[in-house]
Amino acid sequence: MTSEHIYKFFADYIYKHSGIYYKESDFYRLDSRLNTMMKSLSCATVEDLHKAYTTNVTKDMHSLLINIATNNETYFMRDNKPFLTLVNKVIPEILANNKSLTKLSIWCAGCSTGQEPYSILMSIAHKCTPDVLTKTEITATDISTDALSKAKKATYDGLDVQRGLPAPLLVKYFIKESDEAWRINDTIRSRVTFGEFNLLTDNFPASKYNIIFCRNVLIYQDKDNRKSILEKFYKALVPGGVFFMGSGESVIGLGLDFKQEIIDGTLVYKKPA
Amino acid sequence: MKILIVDDSKAINLMVSDMLHEAGHESLWAENGQKAVDIIAKEKVDLILLDWNMPVMNGPEFLEKVKSENLTSAPIVMMTTENKPDYIMKALEMGASEYIMKPFTSDILINKIDLVLGGF
Ligand SMILES: C[S@@+](CC[C@H](N)C(=O)[O-])C[C@H]1O[C@@H](n2cnc3c(N)ncnc32)[C@H](O)[C@@H]1O
Ligand SMILES: [Mg+2]
Repeated sequence: MTSEHIYKFFADYIYKHSGIYYKESDFYRLDSRLNTMMKSLSCATVEDLHKAYTTNVTKDMHSLLINIATNNETYFMRDNKPFLTLVNKVIPEILANNKSLTKLSIWCAGCSTGQEPYSILMSIAHKCTPDVLTKTEITATDISTDALSKAKKATYDGLDVQRGLPAPLLVKYFIKESDEAWRINDTIRSRVTFGEFNLLTDNFPASKYNIIFCRNVLIYQDKDNRKSILEKFYKALVPGGVFFMGSGESVIGLGLDFKQEIIDGTLVYKKPA
Repeated sequence: MKILIVDDSKAINLMVSDMLHEAGHESLWAENGQKAVDIIAKEKVDLILLDWNMPVMNGPEFLEKVKSENLTSAPIVMMTTENKPDYIMKALEMGASEYIMKPFTSDILINKIDLVLGGF
């Protein structure tokens, strides 16, 4: 039995460093996570693990805890519609309003294992004229170093590549290396740069991105953190920039300057030009 | 929706029809392409799940026949252990709308059906 103060210690640590909020009624969700950490660090008991984290937290121990605290669930073309709206409406409109635009900057924040940025690029490659793909640069970031290293490998197993991904896109944009290894081709891969970025504590760039995706990430944050992160996203967009959230998420009630718009059935948030 | 499973394996039929029923679909079974041709001559189906290797008439032969003779407007989804990109490409060129590699899970099956009915 893990005692309450140990759960609370780890929940507080996770909250402080990532904003991911485990309520008391969710403490049991930490059980299997703490077990995994005990194995990784060869701790016999959860008390030993607690002791290790109260004595000296190395960078690896920190990453281990953050990796384990995050939920990295994702799949290709998640929700489908936003990607259609992106390539059919949002990108054409941005390009039409900025005839001299040479670089289309997209930030995919909370990209997990890479399916989302690769889906954006496959959608562009599949539906837009070729010059749009060569203009596109995606910065894809996450707090989880494990998720990022899988994203960088760009290699997915037979189940991953079927989850959400239409077969025509699979044969067009992946190279099959074995039954359990399909790799995204280099044309797509070369347009994305992955990096570690903590939405809670890192400094956001100002007025940099035409488009930001941050989907199914802020659901783990409490209201105050969600509001302050969204304000920073607003600043990180160029005027006329567009922000995409997950299908069940909204910025309503947070008093933000975003202009809400429904385009082809997808709710997006715009920073006025 | 009414979905026709064309597969020589009874076990696959049972597994897939369970997944479909769970998602609120109806299913029919044909154990090879010829039997499937007979069924679609009599009955309207909304979607066809098609195995590759089968006796009497295999998946590609069925696809070829159905497309050249215009026997159905139902979208056809290949469902097979053949997972070489060339095979997938060939099936799509022959008129299949989607391709599912075995093994797969129920959420993949249902998602692929959704994709065919209104996807990318
Ligand atoms: C459920 S995944 C969503 C992945 C993808 N955006 C999607 O919608 O499919 C949530 C991701 O957010 C990341 N995340 C959680 N808190 C974060 C933070 N404070 N800073 C950066 N990333 C964070 C997690 O590591 C995880 O990979
Ligand atoms: Mg067979």
